[in-house]
Amino acid sequence: MIENTGLSKTGRNSGAATETGDRPAVRPRTVWALAAAIIVVAGLIAASLAVGVYDISGQAFGSEMFWITRVPRTIALVLAGAAMAVSGLVMQMLTQNRFVDATTSGTTEWAALGLLLTVLVVPEANMVTRMVVSSVAAFIGAMLFMLILQRIVIRSTLIVPLVGIMLGAVVSALTTFLAAQFNLLQMLSTWFMGSFTQIVRGRYEVLWIVGIVTVLVFVFADRITVAGLGKDVATNVGLNYERVLFLGTGLVAIASGVTTVVVGFLPFLGLVVPNIVSMMRGDNVRSNLPWVCLGGIGLVIACDLIGRLIIMPFEVPVSMVLGLVGAVVFISLLLRRTA
Amino acid sequence: MVSPHTLRTTGAIRRTRVALALGATLALAAGLTACAPEPTDPAANISASTDTVTITDNHGEIAVPVNPQRVVALDNTAFDTLAAWDVDLVAAPKGVMGSAWPGYTDDDAVLDIGTHREPNLEMIVAAEPDLIIGGYRFSDQYAEIKKQNPDATVIEIAPRDGEDQFAELKRQTEILGQIFDHEDEAAALNTQLDDAIADAKSNYPTGETVMAVNTSAGQIGYIAPGIGRSLGSIFGALDLTPALEVKNASNDHQGDDISVEAIADSNPDWIFALDRDASFAPAEREAGSAPANELIRDAEALAQVPAVTKQQIVILDPNFYLTEGIQAYTALFTNISEAFAAA
Repeated sequence: MIENTGLSKTGRNSGAATETGDRPAVRPRTVWALAAAIIVVAGLIAASLAVGVYDISGQAFGSEMFWITRVPRTIALVLAGAAMAVSGLVMQMLTQNRFVDATTSGTTEWAALGLLLTVLVVPEANMVTRMVVSSVAAFIGAMLFMLILQRIVIRSTLIVPLVGIMLGAVVSALTTFLAAQFNLLQMLSTWFMGSFTQIVRGRYEVLWIVGIVTVLVFVFADRITVAGLGKDVATNVGLNYERVLFLGTGLVAIASGVTTVVVGFLPFLGLVVPNIVSMMRGDNVRSNLPWVCLGGIGLVIACDLIGRLIIMPFEVPVSMVLGLVGAVVFISLLLRRTA
Repeated sequence: MVSPHTLRTTGAIRRTRVALALGATLALAAGLTACAPEPTDPAANISASTDTVTITDNHGEIAVPVNPQRVVALDNTAFDTLAAWDVDLVAAPKGVMGSAWPGYTDDDAVLDIGTHREPNLEMIVAAEPDLIIGGYRFSDQYAEIKKQNPDATVIEIAPRDGEDQFAELKRQTEILGQIFDHEDEAAALNTQLDDAIADAKSNYPTGETVMAVNTSAGQIGYIAPGIGRSLGSIFGALDLTPALEVKNASNDHQGDDISVEAIADSNPDWIFALDRDASFAPAEREAGSAPANELIRDAEALAQVPAVTKQQIVILDPNFYLTEGIQAYTALFTNISEAFAAA
């Protein structure tokens, strides 16, 4: 959270340097808007820390409990939210399509397949092995998606996510089939149900990896942006297009692989946030990054809070709330496009 | 139709008195030795009866052949009893039997119907059964099975929803006793269940709170007292005080998503846990998953809860999720009773 804010300044400055002529008048307002957004997200984080079944301040074990469950859960939300939203932005740049993210490109489904395969083939594998295999599977899936995209002729806006969704459906059918064969179906649903319920101290730490991914996206943002202009343009300005494509896809794969293993599916997050940000701010990708980060964190925390509050003391998994919100936004985006 | 099964069944009848005397011990031993091939004596077939007995299954009164020759069983809650009585099966859903009944699952002569999610119903037809004990996980296929097997008697005797779980189990055992001519053993099983419940009830430290959970994929789910099968039903039977009672808890057996905080907050004196994953793939646990006892005992958030500090955690038999028959519940009540007594 803090490092994101710090980086966002760098991001904005370098972005502004290349676009001095664009909209210099907007800058002071942007600073205020960003500051306001940070305050809102900070408020959500505070709410996330405050909301829970256990009485943190009243009970003797309260402060212990705060560090055991609340803080890890909130950190996990921040890391996963930022990483998935930023991954969505990277995917959208690399595919030059607004409707692509880890969900609509089949990447998470591949990660799930990788996870299931590890369980079946190497049952005793630890968390790290699982995440590596998951990420590798997610990478293969994302690369396959890119390859197919380069081969199809009609690349209209809607064909691209459709290809991804179909690819994801095929892969998840295979995953389901395998799970059914080995009687893991019921577990599969618990497992991929994106939920932060069981995130406690000792169970979230690996998510710092996706934090690193987020930082790397900031570092490589310019290159990814140029790659987003298309292979010809990128090559013309001296960028090694393939390498950036590889790097970007790799980052997305790691983010979705790790998140899938630790939390489960977070549907539409990477789709909704970057789109809303660019609707409000235009397509200046570089300076949009901190906004996407904040948006991802804000949305996932808000959805988790809703899930925690509506049937207290039980919880609705965050993926369910996200799916609902995401589907509504996705459809309205489609309608806006076609209208 | 004449087959070695007859010999074995008559043998079993002769053993009845002994079995009654020895109670469950013999029943268990018989279960272990079930399916061992025995020499055939054609003369024994004379006793193959064409008698029928009229029972009331979940759909109404129905005439069932006594000691049927070719039996297909789909109902997990009946397997323990059938195995204990040496009843041979011609087909069974091996996919949902785990490793609990190797006598059936390892026998290639028993056709495999697969699982209830992807049942291979043709296998039932191929087995040419006289009697099909359906229901439970396969209740959705009842009509289809009946249609496909017009020559067979199809019954469903698994515990019905909304009825008292344990009365239902006893009813089921009684019916099985009538069909397979093991009425004395059936009565013994029912008595054992009643005794185990009475024991557990008398050992229960009244007022101490109990929480039932299930664990799967590293998650702890909440099982609502009184509702659904598995652990919910024991609250009523033993008059337990629930640590957490919430309206609108889901009525399925998979448990509600609940945070460890909520469990800690309800401060249970006892935790009964059903390890959902243990039944299918003991060694093959998924990401972040730990066996139920570790999951609960090692949870930092639960360190202050009396159930953990006093080690008052009862973990169900790993196969409980698959067995769930009268024997499984009798064993569970015995375990609970012992745990209560030791506290």
